[in-house]
Amino acid sequence: MLPRSLGRYFLVFAVLALASVLAFAACGDDEEEAVSGVPELEDGVLNVGSDIAYAPFEFYQEGTEIEDGLDIDMARAIAEELGVEAEFLNTGWDGIIPALQTEDFDVIMSAMTITDERSEEIDFVAYISVGTGIVVPAGNPDNIGELDDLCGLTVAVQVGTIQEQMLDEQNEECDQSVNIVTFDTNPLAVEDLRTGGADANFSDFPVASEDAAQSGGELEVVEPQIAPEPYGVGIRKGSTELKDAITDAIQAIRDSGEYDQILANWELEAVALP
Amino acid sequence: MDGLLAIRFDFDTVGDFLFDPIILRAMRETLYIALLAMVLGIGLGIVLAVMRESRNPIISGPAGIYVWFWRATPVILQLLLVYFGLRQLIEEDIFRDNWTRWRAAVITFGLNEAAYMAEIVRGGIQSVESGQMDAAKSLGMTNFQALRRIILPQAFRVIIPPTGNEFIAMLKNTSVAFAIGVVELLNAAKIQAARNFKPMELYTVAAFWYLVLVSVFSLLQAELERALTISERERPETLFSRVLTIIGGRRGI
Repeated sequence: MLPRSLGRYFLVFAVLALASVLAFAACGDDEEEAVSGVPELEDGVLNVGSDIAYAPFEFYQEGTEIEDGLDIDMARAIAEELGVEAEFLNTGWDGIIPALQTEDFDVIMSAMTITDERSEEIDFVAYISVGTGIVVPAGNPDNIGELDDLCGLTVAVQVGTIQEQMLDEQNEECDQSVNIVTFDTNPLAVEDLRTGGADANFSDFPVASEDAAQSGGELEVVEPQIAPEPYGVGIRKGSTELKDAITDAIQAIRDSGEYDQILANWELEAVALP
Repeated sequence: MDGLLAIRFDFDTVGDFLFDPIILRAMRETLYIALLAMVLGIGLGIVLAVMRESRNPIISGPAGIYVWFWRATPVILQLLLVYFGLRQLIEEDIFRDNWTRWRAAVITFGLNEAAYMAEIVRGGIQSVESGQMDAAKSLGMTNFQALRRIILPQAFRVIIPPTGNEFIAMLKNTSVAFAIGVVELLNAAKIQAARNFKPMELYTVAAFWYLVLVSVFSLLQAELERALTISERERPETLFSRVLTIIGGRRGI
């Protein structure tokens, strides 16, 4: 027979064990099996690294520390699908890949385009596909639908952007070249379009879309977007279980319609994966 | 071991772009804008200076307000207001087609310069003894005649040196016209640098041409100042006159 005091300890332990099993079962009601076997998620949290200063993908709601944005919503939906909570760690863009590699967090969701160079460092699971948007005056008076339609027109663009490069390359295809007007910032390029100095403005699709939305009906964005490239969830090389779990989770939210709902909330249906 | 600087700085790129047509065209743009704006600035500046000297507040008042406004706001802001602002206010095609970024830049720099020139010219006019005005009038000249024949010619000697400095400053300041999409020397270099990722090389090219432009105008300014000096003894030596002295063995032209 056990000594009395030890028996009491045993009783307490048994009650606690039972309670924790019940608690686990309770919170795991509609949980997927994915959690088990993924070491990163055993703490019940999907730690997400993000450079939270890039609306509409990731930003803090004005005057608060509340994260918001398309990536944030997407990360929360993926986490929910995995039966864990998403927690965000604001990390500078320059150091975000090294921080993932040194296990500061489990994944990156930070409007990151999948490139060959980055793919040498980390793995990616594509979740949206973002390209360039052409902003034009409402009603699209020059009938612009694709790059070729820009020949002979004046296009305002920010200096040093991929869009400026695209216009340069387009110029080699044009009989009458595109008159490229460059500005230090994109808002000035938009202003030039708004006041009729340019026929179109050329920028990242979500930015273009936001500019059109903010213009009070003066401007619109041409769809579909041009030259889309996938944005990926960044995952450490070697985190194979996590990568598989996230791939499945993205498929699951696409199947359930939640994915489309998130894109619709941000009026960015056009960036859906093909 | 070949020297870190040499590895990172590509002299060939500097050579390639030094006489690149895009850079040369941009330099011409810089020069045209500065010259035209300066002509506008000097002309309007003289008018404003004479207006400010008037004892009639209906004439001197508006000139004072003009100088106050154009000197109290940054020129980049003036460019944005004059180009984008007016285009937004006036939606007629006839205006928008003619109100080009280039014209807006020339006019803004000119109007801005006029405010500074007004102060310089006013200083010049005040440097001429007031007794000369009375003397001219006693000979039967009108105010305008006295100004044109007696006062302004003397004032010019005081006006020329700071005007040259203003022009050199303007030549460099045209780079802010990039705010409204005008591509002049510095920004042509910037645009190219954004394409080939060699900013230092391109900025070196731009610096070279700014130095050439400013040096040429500094020499011209020195010659002009020399020509306007009345007394031979007080005539300053200029690089040009010194070269002549060395070559010809005589002083001056």
